[in-house]
Amino acid sequence: MTSKIPVISIRNLTKTYQMGEVAVHALRSVSLDINAGEFVTVVGPSGSGKSTLMHILGCLDQPSRGQYFLDGKDVSRLSDDEVSSVRNSKIGFVFQGFNLLTRTSALENVELPLLYGANPVSASERRNRAMAALAAVGLESRYEHHTNQLSGGQQQRVAIARALLNNPSILLADEPTGNLDSRTSVEVMDIFQSLKEERGITIVLITHEPDVAAYGSRIIAFKDGVITADELNGQRRTARGELAEIPEVVQETA
Amino acid sequence: MALKTSWIISLKALRRNKLQTALTMVGMTIGVATVLTMIALGSGAQAAIQDQVKAAGMNLIVVKAGNYQLQQDRLPDDAIEPAAYYQSPGSAPRLDSGVYVPGAASLRRSFFHPEDDPFAVHDHPTSRQRLGDSEAGLGSAATLTISDADAIRQISGVQYVSEGVHENAHIGYQGQRWFTRMHGDDVSMPKIKRAWVFTHGGYFTKREEAKAEQVVVLGGIVAEKLFGKDNPVGKTVTLWNQSFKVSGVVSSSSWMVAPAAGDDEFDAIYIPVTTVQKLLNLSKLNDITVTTVSTGDVTRVTKAITDLLRSRHRIAFRTPDDFLVTSQARKALTGGGMRSDVQRAVVGNVSGLEKVTLEQLGKTLDRASATMTALLASIATVSLIVGGIGIMNIMLLSVTERTREIGIRRAVGARAQDVLLQFLLESITLSVTGGLLGVAIGYGVSLFISKILQWSTQVSPLSVALSFGVSAAVGIFFGYYPAKQASQVLPIASLKYE
Repeated sequence: MTSKIPVISIRNLTKTYQMGEVAVHALRSVSLDINAGEFVTVVGPSGSGKSTLMHILGCLDQPSRGQYFLDGKDVSRLSDDEVSSVRNSKIGFVFQGFNLLTRTSALENVELPLLYGANPVSASERRNRAMAALAAVGLESRYEHHTNQLSGGQQQRVAIARALLNNPSILLADEPTGNLDSRTSVEVMDIFQSLKEERGITIVLITHEPDVAAYGSRIIAFKDGVITADELNGQRRTARGELAEIPEVVQETA
Repeated sequence: MALKTSWIISLKALRRNKLQTALTMVGMTIGVATVLTMIALGSGAQAAIQDQVKAAGMNLIVVKAGNYQLQQDRLPDDAIEPAAYYQSPGSAPRLDSGVYVPGAASLRRSFFHPEDDPFAVHDHPTSRQRLGDSEAGLGSAATLTISDADAIRQISGVQYVSEGVHENAHIGYQGQRWFTRMHGDDVSMPKIKRAWVFTHGGYFTKREEAKAEQVVVLGGIVAEKLFGKDNPVGKTVTLWNQSFKVSGVVSSSSWMVAPAAGDDEFDAIYIPVTTVQKLLNLSKLNDITVTTVSTGDVTRVTKAITDLLRSRHRIAFRTPDDFLVTSQARKALTGGGMRSDVQRAVVGNVSGLEKVTLEQLGKTLDRASATMTALLASIATVSLIVGGIGIMNIMLLSVTERTREIGIRRAVGARAQDVLLQFLLESITLSVTGGLLGVAIGYGVSLFISKILQWSTQVSPLSVALSFGVSAAVGIFFGYYPAKQASQVLPIASLKYE
C-alpha cells in the first residue's frame, strides 16, 4: 500500500497561535500519510485542532513547524503565488457555511476557479464546464438562480460543483453537513462517496459527529492537537442505501 | 491572469452592489462635470475677450480726414490719452481754400467742393449746416477721396478697406421716424466688424455699391424702432425723402456688446458709400477704415498709408499731415466699445499704454484670463479630490465588508495580485465611468449655460482629455491603497470572518 507516493504526507506538523499572552498549540507534531482515493474523516471535539489541520492541508494556512508534502512536493516552502496556484488546480474546498458569492448566480460561482487558472479559458468554455459540473450535482436547471434563492442543500451542491471544477486531486470538506438537515446531509454524503468510487478523488472530511464520520473509509480521531486514533472503517455507512429510507421532508420545487 | 478577465470580475462585483456603485460614481461625475464646466466657462471668457479685442479692432487702422494734432510730441511714459493740441491765438490755421501755404502749420483743403461755394443752393443740408463750427475738425475736412481708398487697397498687408461717410439722418417707415447715425460704407464692412451677425437678410452687395443703388442695412435698434418684431427685409424706408430698400438687419454676435440705443453700431444704418455720395453730392470721405491681414503688421501698414497719402496729397517735407492715421487698439481700450470691466483690467495692468504693442496687449489679456481659468479649475479640482476620497472611502469599506468574498476567491486560487487588480479595476471603472458621465453632463451644462445665460463657453478637446485623465488618475491613486489592503487579506482569516 505504501509502494506509491502518498497524496498527502505531513511530518511533525506543528501549529501554534499566539492569542495575546497565551500560546495556543493547535497541532502538536502531527505526522500523517493519506493515499490516493482514500475517504478520510477526521473527528474530534471543537478545539481539537482538526480545522487547523484542514486549513494547512488546504494551503490556506502555513504550519509553524514541520513539513507538508502534497503529491510529493513540499508546499510549506512555496511562495504565495505558487500556493495560490496549488489551491486552484489541486484542491477543492467545501465549507460548512458554503462560502458562495452572494448576489451571484450559481453558474458564476461555479466558474470562479477557472477565472484564476494558470491557462486562460474562454468564456464559452468556462460556461460549458461550469454547466457540466452543475449537471453532475443535479442542479443544471438552477444555474441562473442566485445563491440566496437556493436551499442549503442546493447551495452545498453548488459549492461541491465549484470545488470539482478543476478536477482537483483532493477534496477538503470542513463540516459540510453542519448546516444541513439529515436528508440533505445524506445526499451530500452520497455525492462524496460516489466521487470517491467513480473518480477516485481523495477526500478529507472534518466533522464532530461520529455518525457522519462513519461514511469514511478511514477515521482519524483528534484531541488536543494530537492524533488519538487512526483506523480503517470496517462498518462503513453507504449513503445511497439510506437515502431510500429517509422520507423527503423538503419538497424541491423547480 | 488576463486583464480582460480581471475586468469582467470587477464589473460583476460592481454589478452586485448597484446602489453603492451608482452613488460612488455620482461623486466622481459631479467632480468631473464641475471641472469641465468651470474650464469651459474660463476658456470661454478667454476666447470672448480675445474675440472682443479683435472685434474692437486690434488690426484696425482708421484714416481720418483732417488733423487736429498738428504736432505729435513724444508722450510721457505714463500717459494714457494723448493731450489734444491747443492752438495759440496767433497761429490759427489758415483755411485758404485749396492753396498750400508753406512754412506755417496749417490745415488745407485739397480741392474745391461744391458745398464750399457759399452761393450754391443745395437740396440737402450742407456739411456746414450739419456740423456747424466743427466743420474743420477731425473727419470733416474734405481731404480723403475714394481714389485714396483705392490706393490704400494696393498696399501689401492690407486686408479690407472701407470708405466711410458718416452723417446723422432721419429714417422713416410708415409715419414712424427715428433719428440715427447713417454710415456710408464699403461692402467689406461686415468682414471688418467681425462681431456682426445678420438677424435678417444680409449686407448690400458689391454690385449694389457699384451701381449706387438705394439699399440700406438697418442696425438692430433701428429695425426694432421702425418695424418692431417684423422682418424688415424687402420693405422700403425713407431717407432724405428718398426710398431705400432694406436688405438686412445687423446685430451683435457677442454677448459682451449688447446693441443699445444711441450706440454707433447698431443704432445706425448702413448705405453704400457711392449712394451717399451721389445723393448728398459729396466727393469727400470722412474716413477710411483699413484692416491688416495680421495684427503685427499694423505699425508697418500705418506708416505705408501715411507715406502714400502724403505723396498723393503732395504734402511737403516737415509739413503736417492733412489726415490722421490711428490704429484702433488704443481707441478700443480707452474710447469705449469694450466692456468697461475688461477695459479697466487691461488699462490697469498696462503702464504706458500708448507704447504697448498689440502683441503685448494680447499677452496681458491672455494672462488675465488664464489666471481666471486657473482659479476656476483649482476650485473644481477640489471637488474632484472629494470625489476621489469618496471612491477611496467606499473601496476601503468594501474591503472590510467583502473580506469573505476575498477569502473565497483566494481559496479557489486567486493570487494576491489578482485581488489587487480586481479592486484597482473596480475603482478605476467607477472613476472612469463617473468621469465619462461627468464629461457628458459638463458638456451639456456648458451648452445650457451658453444658451440660457448667453455666457460664452468653450469645451476644448484638451479639457475633455484632462478631465478624463484626471478621473482615471484619481481612480488609480485613491483605489490603490484599498486594493493593496484587499490583497493582503489572508486566505485563512477571511474564511473565519463572519
